Amino acid sequence: MNAVHRPSQAGAVSTAPILRTQNLTVRFDEFPAVRDVDLSIADGELRVIIGANGAGKSTLLDLLCGKTLPSEGEIWLRDRNITGIGEAAIARSGVGRKFQTPTVFKDMTVLENLQVASNRRVRVFENLFERVKGRPSDKEVAVAERTGLLGSMKRKASELSHGQLQWLELAMVLSQEPKIILLDEPAAGMTAAETDKTAELLLDLAGGHTVLVIEHDMAFVRRICRTITVMHQGAVLAEGTAEEIERNPAVIEAYLGSATLSHA
Amino acid sequence: MTYRTASIIAYIAFFAVVLALPLVLNSFWTNRVAIYLVYSICAIGISMSWGYAGILSLGQGLFFGMGAYMLAMSLTLAVPENNPVPQLMLLNMEPNAVRDLCCVTTGSFLWIPFRSVAVGMIAGIVVPCILAAAIGYVMFKRRTTGVYVSIITLAFAVIGQLLIINNQPLTGGFNGLADLALLEIGGFEFDPYGPSAYYAVALTLIAVILLARYMLTGRIGQVLKAIREDEARARYLGYDVENYKLFIFCVSAGVAGLAGMLFTVTSEFATPSLMATSLSISMVIWAATGGRASLLGACIGALIVNFVGSLASESATFQPVWPIILGLLFVVVVLFMPNGIAGIFKAFIDRPGKAERLGGAKLSGKTERPDKADLLVKSELSAREA
Repeated sequence: MNAVHRPSQAGAVSTAPILRTQNLTVRFDEFPAVRDVDLSIADGELRVIIGANGAGKSTLLDLLCGKTLPSEGEIWLRDRNITGIGEAAIARSGVGRKFQTPTVFKDMTVLENLQVASNRRVRVFENLFERVKGRPSDKEVAVAERTGLLGSMKRKASELSHGQLQWLELAMVLSQEPKIILLDEPAAGMTAAETDKTAELLLDLAGGHTVLVIEHDMAFVRRICRTITVMHQGAVLAEGTAEEIERNPAVIEAYLGSATLSHA
Repeated sequence: MTYRTASIIAYIAFFAVVLALPLVLNSFWTNRVAIYLVYSICAIGISMSWGYAGILSLGQGLFFGMGAYMLAMSLTLAVPENNPVPQLMLLNMEPNAVRDLCCVTTGSFLWIPFRSVAVGMIAGIVVPCILAAAIGYVMFKRRTTGVYVSIITLAFAVIGQLLIINNQPLTGGFNGLADLALLEIGGFEFDPYGPSAYYAVALTLIAVILLARYMLTGRIGQVLKAIREDEARARYLGYDVENYKLFIFCVSAGVAGLAGMLFTVTSEFATPSLMATSLSISMVIWAATGGRASLLGACIGALIVNFVGSLASESATFQPVWPIILGLLFVVVVLFMPNGIAGIFKAFIDRPGKAERLGGAKLSGKTERPDKADLLVKSELSAREA
């Protein structure tokens, strides 16, 4: 397809990045919401993106999962150019997205939600004569256990608490068996106990999965993170460990006057 | 009794009543009820697309009418006086036109394949499907949703009706196609006032219900329900939402076309009024009254509303206000019983205070299986941990 255009710079690192963007830019009415972002996420990495409101973090995730089409630039998943191939095709190629406000199938049970998510034969005619099982598969039990939903399998999603909804969406994304998981503020609106559990869950995921997280809460970020990418006015401002970021003069300057880093 | 058991009993009871009715009905009512059952098939089509996939088509009458016309064309040509050229064309042709189907009036060649009744019967399903595929493709690829789908489908039905009315030399215009031959398959004649046509409709209805139920209780039904709940989420899980919508929209149109053909068999005519907005909207009201997310509910809704409607049409007091009653019924259903008769039935079966409060049986609505027990214990444990 577009393989001809494949840039050759990737070979420099020993482990080729699983996700890579090049000059990724999107403009809304000429206003650049995301500018020239070159992101490179290694296999198995847990990366956190921070930045003030309006820095372009969520828009970046929207670009990666196909919700928004980039004005310029390319997105590569391993050696496949997934720019502009559509949300469903991007999802099938291995990108899983969890939104800030949980989007799940409210009128369906937890089990049904997981079944829809874990079904990897997605075409109409593949599903025409397929029956649905009344009890969870081993895989569905495993993912429910991991996210603490095993006791709620038969409950409707609309009956779950906010924290449980967040975990259900995460469980659905996990059921997709994605190559990379995009999480938009996974601990938003959670109680302290739920936040703790979410942090544990993310650390548990890291290693086995490649995860890209947007987060506001710096305490939470310090807990889960190795590499942080700071976004400011649509562009990448800095990249490094938590200590490096907090010492970085550009980052400090960008946050001066508005808010301190811990509240960013 | 679980809801699942109760609904299976309800299905069997309904089938039994439908099959037994001709034994007690006179020929007039056999014909009436056969037509109501035709409407039930329409309501099933609505339930499939609206109830299961959230696609509210207000142009279902277009597909119903197309089905009716396709078979009516064949049954027109099956009348000896209509050969080689139907009377309606002779009345409308240019004075010196050749008296042959190829060119007696503009477009009359379109009738040629319908000399075969088999072609008419196949076209009655295939043509609505193709039409729905074309309309659906444009709508769904552009991600048209919600009320816009209703408006577009409604507009197409109006266009369809106008095309039929305005092309009188080809379609019979406002009068439609009447004086049809009886449908005859393999020497067997379907008498609209006898049990033969009735059973053709009843058995088709039962087959449609069973097939639709088989399909919609399977994986595809689950995915459609997910799409109805949250289209974007379904996309981010990798489903091509447009294809699923297109599929169910076409199936629903095919079902409406099938119903249209059976309407021709039982009513012996096809007119543009079958594509009227009022009929399309009535179909939605039938499905809503019975319960749009329940195939059997939609079916029963169509029967009840049409039966009451026919009683009303015989009363001088109620006949003029029936459309108003129908409209009010829709408002009441939407506001107070969104799941219609089927919803009331479910609430009655699942009513609180019943014995079955143990384990997951009540929540799942399914019968308990022994291998679930250990899972329940497990879930109890993990619930305590949390």
